[in-house]
Amino acid sequence: MSKKSVLNVLSLTLAASVVATNFAAAADLRMSWWGGDGRHVATQKALEYCTGKTGHKVKAEFAGFEGYLEKLTTQMAGSTEADIIQVDWPWLFQFSKDGTGFADLKQFSGELDLTQWNDSQLAPASINGKLNGVPVSVTGATFYFNDEIYKKAGIETPKSWDDLAAAAKKLNPQGLYPFDTTRVILMLMVEAFAAQISGQEFVKPGTNELAWTAEDIAGALKHYQWMVDNGIVRSAKDAAGGGNIEIFDDPAWVTGRIGGTYFWDSTYSKYNDPLTVGKLVPAAPLQIKGAKSDGVYKKPSMVFSISRHSKDPKAAAQVLNCLLNDKDAILILGDSRGLPASAIAKSTLEAAGKLTPERLDGAKIVAAASGPVMSPLIEHPTVQELFKDVIEQFAYGQLTADEAGEEIVDGLTKALRRL
Amino acid sequence: MSGDSRLLGFWYVLPYLIGLLVFTAIPFLGSLYLSFTDYRLMQGMDFVGLQNYTDILTSDRTFTRSFKVTMLFVALTVPLKLAFALFIASILNAKLKGIGFFRTAYYVPSILGGSIAVAVLWRYMFADVGMVNMILTGLGFKAINWFGNPGTALFTITILRLWQFGSAMVIFLAALQSIDKSLYEAAAIDGAKPWRAFFAVTLPLLTPVIFFNLIMQMVQAFQEFNGPYVITGGGPLKSTYLLPLYIYEMAFKKFDMGYASAIAWVLFAVIMVLTLLAFWSSKYWVYYAGDKRS
Repeated sequence: MSKKSVLNVLSLTLAASVVATNFAAAADLRMSWWGGDGRHVATQKALEYCTGKTGHKVKAEFAGFEGYLEKLTTQMAGSTEADIIQVDWPWLFQFSKDGTGFADLKQFSGELDLTQWNDSQLAPASINGKLNGVPVSVTGATFYFNDEIYKKAGIETPKSWDDLAAAAKKLNPQGLYPFDTTRVILMLMVEAFAAQISGQEFVKPGTNELAWTAEDIAGALKHYQWMVDNGIVRSAKDAAGGGNIEIFDDPAWVTGRIGGTYFWDSTYSKYNDPLTVGKLVPAAPLQIKGAKSDGVYKKPSMVFSISRHSKDPKAAAQVLNCLLNDKDAILILGDSRGLPASAIAKSTLEAAGKLTPERLDGAKIVAAASGPVMSPLIEHPTVQELFKDVIEQFAYGQLTADEAGEEIVDGLTKALRRL
Repeated sequence: MSGDSRLLGFWYVLPYLIGLLVFTAIPFLGSLYLSFTDYRLMQGMDFVGLQNYTDILTSDRTFTRSFKVTMLFVALTVPLKLAFALFIASILNAKLKGIGFFRTAYYVPSILGGSIAVAVLWRYMFADVGMVNMILTGLGFKAINWFGNPGTALFTITILRLWQFGSAMVIFLAALQSIDKSLYEAAAIDGAKPWRAFFAVTLPLLTPVIFFNLIMQMVQAFQEFNGPYVITGGGPLKSTYLLPLYIYEMAFKKFDMGYASAIAWVLFAVIMVLTLLAFWSSKYWVYYAGDKRS
């Protein structure tokens, strides 16, 4: 056999083995996430790209936020969750109390480039030293105003509560409101006001013992009542007139009859995209009288985790790495999940001019805002339901602010013992 | 009959029996067991005896509120729906041109009524700027905040249920058509006007069907979920927070499966008691053909 023939045979054998290896490594995976239409389209396109890049097929399972946790919980209980899962940060502590609820991503540092996140970004997703997820972006809640409404009224976007009260005087006669809330947004705001008043997180650090007092919460509720009395927001009864809908589905919001609201900066598109009038601009958190801080707590807006039941966690880690750290995939995903936490993703999007000023400004405002580090328990469904129910009773005049404060403290004290 | 032939019937019903066992009987008994535990999804499970039931019946204010709302909803929905279904069935029983089309058209909401899409449509219709308020203001009335007021919010859910009168109506229609026409002729000869004939002939002969519809509609009303979940989310002030919503939220939002199972069993017990009550009372008002009293 000639030397050429030997080389040919060797090359063919090598090529065949590479193909065989690739086929053997190609995995069928599932990925689940929540979001709006923009995120769904971008993620599916990015997955298509990553399938070409890694050879792994990924079945997309996506939905809106409503109902996602319920579905995920059922899947987790039955060990049928997707291989790659988008998880809201507080849920990590429900599903993985001791850190073993999800795969430890440190085990896959060969496949997933963890150096793109710094330690402080990874720390909130680490439980008992096990990395349960990588943060997609970091978020905090702040104020956003519809620039067109304020421009038309000849007033600047508000920088204080007094500005908002003055705006209400100008806008109310035209049937407009300078700001508004829903049941969920109101809960977030009351919590932020209570954090401003108390200057601390709602439980004593590292415990399930309540730190906020009835007076802190009553103070927050009194400020909400002041907002209603001054025409800054619609009354709870009027706001409920649209039925069980989010503010961005409310015709009053879409058609520019509401001047602003309060939300997590990572969810900007969800609130901005439905607008047919104007665009949302971020504003620094407004402090109520006697505030000790901005009351803004920051958290990973969402994390990507890998199922501990995944048959091929390495393949899942490769796909995850492609989605979060591959420049082409990053450009496809854009800012569909907010300002990325991964260093390479952020710099790639910035260099490509894919981040709008509103996105960047919102992230800067949140980064600069002060507030306590908050226990994930604040987002536990039991805690949230209690806040929402009692706030509603106050808003409908069934409880005074002081009674509502007492009711929340009593309820939370009992509930926290069980969590 | 050979052995194989004797087993043939069994083989035919086997798929159904497997389905009944796996998807109904086992979960049914499983939930009974869970109701005596503190099982939470993703966490351990301890036997707590009657603790869940004691909490529900003695200290759970949300349950009390939800129970009252559910009873009010059922008390409103069932009689109104039966009356409305009978009224429409009586009209559709007439020999009119194109009646077949109307019978189909009136049945359609029953097929669509329970769907999420119709609940969403309902939400838009009764929203503050929805079609119903547009009509009201167009007629010179004041717009109503249907979802913002506890009383009117329950009303919107109730009429969604009423709108789905088709299945009860079809059963009434079939019963009306089976009434012997000679009875009406005899009544007419005796001088009975149509109104009198309805109460003296039609209604007594319909009582078995009314009884059947009563039981079916009551059980369905106790299980109403889609309407309040989509339209009002149970609010405002839990005025539309029916027990199935509470069970769902306890199980799938708070993951307290043991407690949710216990509420489900309390609901089951309530339905069972009311059904038995209806059966007991039926001997006083339901007349079957061939019955000595008839």
